[in-house]
Formats: sequence, structure tokens, C-alpha cells
Amino acid sequence: MSAVVEHEVVAEREVMTEREVMDRPILDPALAPPFPVAALPLLRNLQLRKNVAHAIDVIQAKRARLVAEKPDWQALRSAASRIRDEALQDLGAYLEQFEARCTAAGGTVHWALDAADARKIILKILREEKADEVIKIKTMTSAEIQLNPFLEANGVRTYETDLAEIILQLGEGEPSHIVVPALHVNRGQVREIFARRMGIENLSDEPEALTAAARNYLRQKFLSVPTAISGANFLIAETGSVVVVESEGNGRMCLTLPRTMITLAGIEKVLPRFADLEVMLQLLARSATGERMNPYTSLWTGVTPGDGPQKFHVVLLDNGRSSILGRKTERQTLRCIRCAACMNTCPVYRQTGGHAYGSVYPGPIGAILTPQLEQMRHAQSLPFASSLCGACYEVCPVKINIPEVLLELRARVTDQERKQALRFFDPLYLGLRAANLIFSRAWLFHAAQRMGRIALRLFTREDGWIHALPGIGAKWTQTRDLRGLPDQTFHEWWEKNRDRGNKGPREKGRKRTSDRGNKGADGQ
Amino acid sequence: MSESSSREAILDRIRAASGGGQNPAVTAEEAAQRFGRLPRDYQVRGELTVRACQELFMERLREYDAKVVECAPEELGATIAAQIEASGRRRFIAASGDPNAWLVTAAWQITGFECDIDHGLTVTEIEQAEGVITACFCGVADSGTIALHHSATEGRRVITLLPDWHLCIVRASQIVETLPEYFDRCKQPPPELVTWISGPSATADIEMTRIKGVHGPRFLNVIVVNDREQGPGTK
Repeated sequence: MSAVVEHEVVAEREVMTEREVMDRPILDPALAPPFPVAALPLLRNLQLRKNVAHAIDVIQAKRARLVAEKPDWQALRSAASRIRDEALQDLGAYLEQFEARCTAAGGTVHWALDAADARKIILKILREEKADEVIKIKTMTSAEIQLNPFLEANGVRTYETDLAEIILQLGEGEPSHIVVPALHVNRGQVREIFARRMGIENLSDEPEALTAAARNYLRQKFLSVPTAISGANFLIAETGSVVVVESEGNGRMCLTLPRTMITLAGIEKVLPRFADLEVMLQLLARSATGERMNPYTSLWTGVTPGDGPQKFHVVLLDNGRSSILGRKTERQTLRCIRCAACMNTCPVYRQTGGHAYGSVYPGPIGAILTPQLEQMRHAQSLPFASSLCGACYEVCPVKINIPEVLLELRARVTDQERKQALRFFDPLYLGLRAANLIFSRAWLFHAAQRMGRIALRLFTREDGWIHALPGIGAKWTQTRDLRGLPDQTFHEWWEKNRDRGNKGPREKGRKRTSDRGNKGADGQ
Repeated sequence: MSESSSREAILDRIRAASGGGQNPAVTAEEAAQRFGRLPRDYQVRGELTVRACQELFMERLREYDAKVVECAPEELGATIAAQIEASGRRRFIAASGDPNAWLVTAAWQITGFECDIDHGLTVTEIEQAEGVITACFCGVADSGTIALHHSATEGRRVITLLPDWHLCIVRASQIVETLPEYFDRCKQPPPELVTWISGPSATADIEMTRIKGVHGPRFLNVIVVNDREQGPGTK
């Protein structure tokens, strides 16, 4: 079947039911509900959890096998983190160098302070090109600035070309992963979306058939749409080159066939030298998809006469990134090369999937990146969406210590909350204030222990466990049992039994303990 | 905000974040020196024998579903012809840099064989071709990667993209074991256009099931030409 068939997208939008509107995840951090609220319906969606767990298991197994065959993996990680740190250390200089080289090679470099700025610049270029449609390579940065809805509202039709992005665009879904954005959708759901939107009857749900449908659907677009938009995996300061890493060849199509190419890249994407790729390319595919190398990686420099687009624009996007740069602990966030290994290994992401994070950047990296890009004005619940188990740090190819940054951000969120007057009505805040008071005075602590023992005895069953507590305590007992308090504390036991010990090495300990006991007695 | 003021604002913020000083330009020499100071204690040089390295390259490509054959330099024409014959395809294009030397020998004997040399073919002409024949710049064994720098023998980017079947000629002397060895071969000046190819196009976007062949060529055939001593011994 070599005949190219163009399938028109079925134009009329199905009217969404209220239920579906509610189900559509919100990935704008300014509007998204807090993580626990957003996570709840996802945790109840067993199909979604099954899809996510399956996809993650496959990637994880492949990654583990390929990392194990690299004895120099840790050395590569160290080198990569050094290279990224060096780029961030002299970010301004390297960006100016990139700009100069790219311009000399025939490209045009634009600088965008924030999302609105970037959208405006891109629309202006499209207007100059008289473009009413664009083909797009998957770029999370474009999702970050919500480019597609903006372009559509301004009369520019956008065509996503990455298979996962087509699934989401046609199915009106939202990305839940930064490398495999539709990993929460299974083949049956893809079949339904493609059959409906491409107007294909009798479409099988075999991945081969679905992939072929996408190929046919896009072929004419690649050959006819004269303007393309991409993201960038790396910008090379030394040469002014841009690197895009992909698998399907949709990237190469968009980079080669159109007349005009627009690349949107975060300012942190810069690498000092071409040779730095010898480290980055060894880490990226293995970490991201569990391949030794992804099928296609393209590098281009400005414009090349007779080969590829003859007009090339790069939009360098800040959108909060420079504010991360100035903070010592948080700066490492910007090392990220978007491989998604952290979300693939994260026990929290595994349960909730990506939509709970209320951002196009989910998982552990999203939990630290999103609130910072939002300048801590939104997404404050994300730093708490972690068990701090550290698995993300262990797999990160550029050694971002995510737990460390999470703790730093938690402290900043807590500092913010401390400044709010309403905190006096927050039971958690009151509880912690009370605990602060009690823990700093020994007599109060002992008194509280005695009172607690009496109170909890009311709820302790015969088996020695507390199965249900009233009020705020129910938040704990809803999901776990609590061991009832024993009849005496260790302190009380020690008071009674300390003289029964022998001499020898305990002598010293006895003295110190009795000192402490005396102090406690003084306090009382 | 105008674009030039956005530029200054961003650079100012970056300067402020880096301690308030200026951003002294990092010269090319300085950047190169810094690279020299990096801890490059990952594997830079390969350790395999020439033969083992070549076998690893072929094995890795096969794992990506590429078809790989070997031949002696004098057999190249006949091997290309055999590959074309077996593919069942007849309409080809080839990179402009001297592929004639390979093609004239045997391929023209195949009934119906057509081959346009790319001296500026249009997209429509390229789209109509069933296959494409090119050389390459380098092969990397460790990752099973072929590097095209798009010189005359490697062709413009578009010719290795639209046809469904790509036949790539790799000379054994072009194969290195590690990616850093490839980057050593690229020095001064670095290439301006590169496509690194590791197998035919593929996707795993639906349930992580790897499907070979999406938009790029669905079939990658590689001929490794044994143009150097294959005997035992290390490099």
C-alpha cells in the first residue's frame, strides 16, 4: 500500500458531556487543583493506572538492562552534570555565543521573557510568512507556553506530528509524560480516536495498523505545509547548532521539508561545545526510552543552501528560568535534559500518572520545576507530592539531587504559609504550634504523654490497635491502623529499673541518664 | 516588551543570578580548555579488535531491525545489485558524490532498474523513489549508529528521508567503537549538518510496543565494505 491517502480530519467537535469536561485534566499550574485533589480521581481510574504501570514497567526494564551494560555509567553521569553546570555557570556568555554563531549561519535569534512574549514572537513570524497552518515536532516547551490554543485562536491550524501528540490532539487529551505523552492511553482508546477523527472504518487496534494510519494521515501535511515549529534538545554555543532527538522521522520531516523553521528552546538548553554531545547522547536515549540510541538525531546550523528550510528562527525562552539560576540549591533543576527517567522510577507517579501534577512537566522533575517556573506563586503542593525515597536522584543522568531541591522548596512553601494570617485557623498549623510548645518543655511533654495515654485508651481495641479515630485523627486511621500506647513510657520504666543494672560499662551511662532524669525532675 | 529589551532583560537577570558581574565572553579556546579539564573517565577509546568492533556494529544494527551484509571492496557493485534485486524495488535515487562508480557495475543489469542521481531533485521526484543509496561519514559500533554529515556522497537530508528504503554503504575503516571516538573524528571544524541514524524509523508510543517504520525510511539496509585488514590484534 504505497498510495498516499489524505484523510480529512472530521471537523465537527463532538459536544463534550459535563462529565468529560470535568475529566479533562488541567495542566495550567495557575488553574490546576492541588496535587492530592487532582490525584484522587486518577487513583480511582483503574484503567489509567494499568496503562501507566504497563508502560513504565516496559521502559524501566529496558533502561535497567542498557545501563547495566555500561560499566562507565557513573562516570558519564558525573561528566554530564559537570558539563551542564558549566553551561549554567556562564549561561549568559554561552547564549550570546550561540546567538552570534547561529546568526552568522543565517538564523534569526529572538528572546522571549515569558510565555506571552514567546507566543507573540511566533505569531508574528507566522504572519510574516502568511502561514495559516504549521506542522509541529513534539515540544514540551510549546505546551508550557500553551502555544497551540493561542495559534488556533489566531487562525493558525496546528498539526502535531509525533504519534503520541497526534493521539492527544485528535483525542483532545493532555500529555501525562514528557517523553511518551500518551502513555496513559491504550491501543483500544487510540483505535477509537483515530477511527472517529480520521474517518477510518474497520481500523484494527494493532499498533502496526494504528501507526500506519498516522503515517498516511500526515504524509501530505509534511509535503505541503511550508512552516514548522520544533523544540530543541540542545543548543550548541560553539557552533550555533540545534539538536533534536526523535524516533519516528516526523522530526526530520519537519526539519527538512518546510520553507521556514521555528525552534522554541528554553534558555537552559545550551551546551558549551559540540563535543559535549559525546556524553549527552550516550545518556539521553538510554535514560529516556531504554535504547542504546534513538533512531534519529538531527543537528543543523542556521540555514544550508539547497538543504532544508531557507528561513530559520530560534526563540530563546526564559519564562521563569533565570529566577531558578540565582539559587544555589535549586539551580541544578536547570541541568535537566528531559529524559523522564525520574518519573519512570517514581512510586508516586506510578500510582497517579502525570495529570495529577497539573503541569506539562509531571513526576519528580515537574514537582521541582513547575513551582519554580511559576516563581512559587502556583503549584505549591507539588514539592510535597513525593515520599523523598530518592529513586529519582539515583537514575538522573545529570545527577539532579531532586530530594534536596524538594526539601528546599518545601521550606519555601512553609515560609510563605507562615506569612499568611489565615494560618491560625489551620488545624495542622495549630497542631504543630502546640507540638512545638510541648516538645520544648519536659514537664509538659510528660503530662501530654499521660493525657494521651488516657485519651487513646478509649479508642484502643482489645487487640492493642487503634482502628478508628475521630476528627482530624481519622485522616491517619482511614488508611492505616495505629498501635495503642503502652502502659508506661520508656522514661517511666527507666526511672523504676535503672538501679537494677550492673557495674562496668554501664556506669557511665547510668550517671548521664540520672543527670537527665534529675533535670526532668527539676522541671517538674 | 520589544524584542531587544527582552534580550537585555533576560541577560540582566542571568547576570544578576550569576553574581551580578558581567558575562565575559567565553572564547573558543577557553571553552576547549574547559573541555580538557572535564573528568573524562568514561570510556573514550575502544578496546575491541578490529573484527570484533565491526561485528558489534553489525549486531547492534540488526537489533534495530536493520539488514546488514558484508562484502569485499571489489564485490561492492554486485552486492548493491543483489540488495536492490532482493528488495523488489526498481526506482532509486542516489547521492551525487560518485555513486555511479558502484551502480554502473551490476545494478543496471536489473530489468526495470532506474536511478536518478541527486543534482537537485524536487521533493516530488524524491517522494516517488522507492529507495535511496548513499555513503556515510562514520559508523559507531557501541550504539549501532550511522552518522551522515550530508556531504556529496552522503546526500542532502531529504533524499535519505522520503524514500521508504535506505541502502547505506559503510566502509569498515569508517567504523569506530565508541561515540567519543566518533567525536574525535569530527574535530575542526565540527559538522554543520548531521543526521545520526540508529536503525529504521520506529515508535513505541502505543503501549510501548516497538513498531518499525513510521515517517522516516521503514527499511534500513547496510553494506559493510571490508576495506581494511581484518586480522587479529588490537587497534
